[in-house]
Amino acid sequence: MDTDLRRYQRNQRSISHEDQEKLLRSSAAVIGCGGLGGYIAEELARLGVGRLILFDGDRFEVTNLNRQILATEATLGQWKVEAARKRLQAVNSSIQVACIRDWFQEETADTHLQGVNIVFDALDSIPARLALERTSHHLGIPLVFASIAGWFGLLGVSLPGDNSVKKLFGRQAQERRGVEASWGNPAFTPAVVASMAVAEGVKVLTGREISLHRSWLHVDLLAMEFERFEILD
Amino acid sequence: MKITIKLFASLRRGRFKSEQWDVPEGSTVELVFDRLGLQPRDVSILRVNGRDVADGQVLGAGDIVTLFPPLGGG
Repeated sequence: MDTDLRRYQRNQRSISHEDQEKLLRSSAAVIGCGGLGGYIAEELARLGVGRLILFDGDRFEVTNLNRQILATEATLGQWKVEAARKRLQAVNSSIQVACIRDWFQEETADTHLQGVNIVFDALDSIPARLALERTSHHLGIPLVFASIAGWFGLLGVSLPGDNSVKKLFGRQAQERRGVEASWGNPAFTPAVVASMAVAEGVKVLTGREISLHRSWLHVDLLAMEFERFEILD
Repeated sequence: MKITIKLFASLRRGRFKSEQWDVPEGSTVELVFDRLGLQPRDVSILRVNGRDVADGQVLGAGDIVTLFPPLGGG
């Protein structure tokens, strides 16, 4: 644990000393270290979440530079999780960072996610998202789900038994990609949606009321509209 | 009968945000897809009055039909 808590001083009343201690004792998994996952991991490290487990089976390539915070000209060709670890340890050497240099797989995820307090979905495949929710809930772990496409995104919190991702993406269970296949993902969308996901995650980890439980926030940066929708049974 | 169609995100491109339509009694959500030129795979979330519905759902007067495209990226 960090002996010099001054690094968290500017969290002040937003995150109480007691809540900060909870974050320092927490463990979070970030599934995917691309657009969303890079920002999520960065913010979790700065928040002092004590143990991070990063999943990604990819290396940085030139098409990642437009939006992925961990992609730089210097990290091109590097494994995303390894580049992430270097960056996160440079930001906060008091946290533990474990890297899984592989794609998320339902069959093997159990062992990696044991003891994790929260899972962040930063995947880029709809069937993989559905599998991640099944795995997280099987292990009794809360999931913060998020996805982006173009100027748009959505996020929410799915607690064991909610099946929110299944309810939202069930129609698309066989389709790997959404409209991002044609709209792409510009820099601002992952930054906004990832930050919102982390804000919800902090509430989960510190026991605050969750704003997006059994609901999702639709984010439209083209119209600058943010609307919350209930997920009904 | 009158129904309201609300579109979100990329589905608004070349279409609209919200419109009121006059449709025949007994119309189903397929009529909405047809008129919008959408295939089932273009829509991730399909709701009528805030509830998820399956294809084939029969619409009633005053219904609000909401459609979202699949957003799958990370």
